[in-house]
Amino acid sequence: MTDNYAALCVNEPELAALRARLREFLAADRDEFGWRPSVDTWLSKWDEAFSARLGDAGFLGLTIPPEYGGQGLGHLHRYVVTEELLAAGAPVAAHWIADRQVGPGLMSYGTEEQRRRILPRIAAGRYFSAIGMSEPQAGSDLAAAATKATRTDGGWVLSGTKVWTSGAHLSHQIVVLVRTSPLDPQRRHAGFSQFIVPTDSPGLDISPIVLMSGEHHFNEVTFNEVFIDDTNLLGKEGDGWRQVTAELSFERSGPERILSTAPMLTALARLLADQPELDSHATAALGDLLARLISLRQLSISVARALADGESPINEAALVKDLGTRFEQDSVELAADLLSFVSAEAGGRAEVATLVEIAGLHAPMFTLRGGTNEVLRGMVAKGMGLR
Amino acid sequence: MSVLSGGVFAGGTDDLTDLRNLVDDIGERSFDAKIGHRSLPDAFDDTAWRHLEDAGLTRLDSTADSGGGPVEVALILRSLARHAVTVPLAETDVLACWLASKAGIAVPESGALTIALGDARTDSGTVIAAIPNVPYAAEASAVICALRDGDHLMVGAVRPADLAITRGHNTGGEPRDTVGVDTPLEAFVRLDNHAAAELIRRGAWARCVQIIGALDAAVEFAVAHTQEREQFGRPLSAFQAVQHALASMAGEVERARAAANLAVAAAADHGFDSPQADYAITVAKVVLGRVVPAVATSAHQLHGAIGVTIEHRLWLATQRARSWITEFGDTAHYARRLGRMALDAADPWDLMTGVVGDQPARSTTD
Repeated sequence: MTDNYAALCVNEPELAALRARLREFLAADRDEFGWRPSVDTWLSKWDEAFSARLGDAGFLGLTIPPEYGGQGLGHLHRYVVTEELLAAGAPVAAHWIADRQVGPGLMSYGTEEQRRRILPRIAAGRYFSAIGMSEPQAGSDLAAAATKATRTDGGWVLSGTKVWTSGAHLSHQIVVLVRTSPLDPQRRHAGFSQFIVPTDSPGLDISPIVLMSGEHHFNEVTFNEVFIDDTNLLGKEGDGWRQVTAELSFERSGPERILSTAPMLTALARLLADQPELDSHATAALGDLLARLISLRQLSISVARALADGESPINEAALVKDLGTRFEQDSVELAADLLSFVSAEAGGRAEVATLVEIAGLHAPMFTLRGGTNEVLRGMVAKGMGLR
Repeated sequence: MSVLSGGVFAGGTDDLTDLRNLVDDIGERSFDAKIGHRSLPDAFDDTAWRHLEDAGLTRLDSTADSGGGPVEVALILRSLARHAVTVPLAETDVLACWLASKAGIAVPESGALTIALGDARTDSGTVIAAIPNVPYAAEASAVICALRDGDHLMVGAVRPADLAITRGHNTGGEPRDTVGVDTPLEAFVRLDNHAAAELIRRGAWARCVQIIGALDAAVEFAVAHTQEREQFGRPLSAFQAVQHALASMAGEVERARAAANLAVAAAADHGFDSPQADYAITVAKVVLGRVVPAVATSAHQLHGAIGVTIEHRLWLATQRARSWITEFGDTAHYARRLGRMALDAADPWDLMTGVVGDQPARSTTD
């Protein structure tokens, strides 16, 4: 029987040891460098020095083979590291996309030259990437993307505009999805390709899209006849759609779809624990909140294990993102309610209140980014045979 | 595949496939036999029980060399509940046989057993109790009475004929009787209350895995109904609002299944009397306590009015799930318990990742 308790908690001895090692690293790093745990850090806490230290300690590029500078470990090792980083509220945004998507993408579709050029720097936490997918006229309907690449001597010329490109202004490169053949209305997903675009390419224009919180994470990226040489085509020409969708289950079902607010919740639980006499309704509300989180984590783990076994649980993966991100949103209001049971003078209360406020500002994005929940529910309905 | 695999996304095979097919077959025959005469109460299905006994499936957990344990029993309970088979398998195997064995009391080797858990008083050498909601008391070959009296649990096997039984049923039609006990003290063995805590944990566990089966049925029925029923010139399932409601239902059931699978693994690996089982069963009870009403409400909404009739199959799923979730402790109780675990934890994140102490589970109050 492989279904055992430790496995379902991704806590077999080897993984538990990895957890312990990372926790030790994070506690020491935090003490030395003074970063404060925050919420939604995978979007908003860009700290290149932290990423480099994390890489040096061997916690990046976990699934990248050693010959490319990685750790050569499994998907579940990566799962454990990801969730520990999120739970600790560590500043992970700089390396996030490179480590989560670009590394695996290069392993699946990259040329040997691309792998040797890029992977070691990703694993070292010193190479950052953005991903260019959405466009002004292509949001949930990604196949409407119109940015195009046309053939030229020794490469391609890119023209068009990408939006919501997080971290593009700080990244070394952007992986973009573009049309390399004109739209065929009968086969809308055909004719896409992926390119690696260095951000210092002439003709590339990156301008900020400022959030209602005043933060700048997103950008509008304009390609004004940007030349890209052949060495930067990622995968096969015309195969772009399949390449970007093939591994979406990993991204959809990962811990970041459940734990974006986890540092707020653990800090809140500690505050409540310090209250001399906690109202039993508050205790129950905390239990309810945790039960929901734990059940979603168990669902996420069941998908992770299935993916690690080579299965394709696409419906369950979509469900993790739908349910997990709705939980993340609800957790903000539930935390605000629970904070009312903490006395005004309690030490640490103001910090948690600040996390609740930040989470509230980020909450609308939880159910939008990486594909809206409505689109995901449509996919699940299809998986149930309804469409 | 997981122990409790099933429902709308089920597929594949594993080393439990044969057992799953065997029980599904017994379940389908029982379910089909009810078509055309569903009614309240829904009588004990002695045909299905005989099939289960013939297959050697009624005392798997409680028989040392049966080759079965919590994993197999959970699979069987889910499947029987999926087909609304009206038999006290959880009561017989997970509760009555276990407690009788712990107390060193002999019980009949075949036939259904049940458990009557409640409070009692002792009056001049006689144990007196009135216990509501005892499953299948009248049909059992023996009722294992588990009676709390102060710090002790008095355990005795009593024949139904020696009890005052008033028939009743839960809203899902299953027998739930009121049992009057008036039995000499010599018929009982004294255990400490720790046994009562494990008994309740076992009961909560069994109901959780049964509920997964009932919820799988509710979702499958809702999918089938919305595909067959046409309004405005097309099947209900063609409407996006309906599709999203079904997807949300399925999502709730999948997270409930994930929580219940952890409870099964905890019991199988560490035993019911372990902190892991205490934790995972507490989580599952809270999760299912929220999932059951949401899924039941949605399933009825999607069925329209036909779903609330006695002739329709839906109530066997929704009302059994609703009845089961109220047993062995209510949702608010377990939510407080889980909240208390988090407040007492050295690190709440440890609790979220299932890391709980290696000490024996302590009985707690809330």
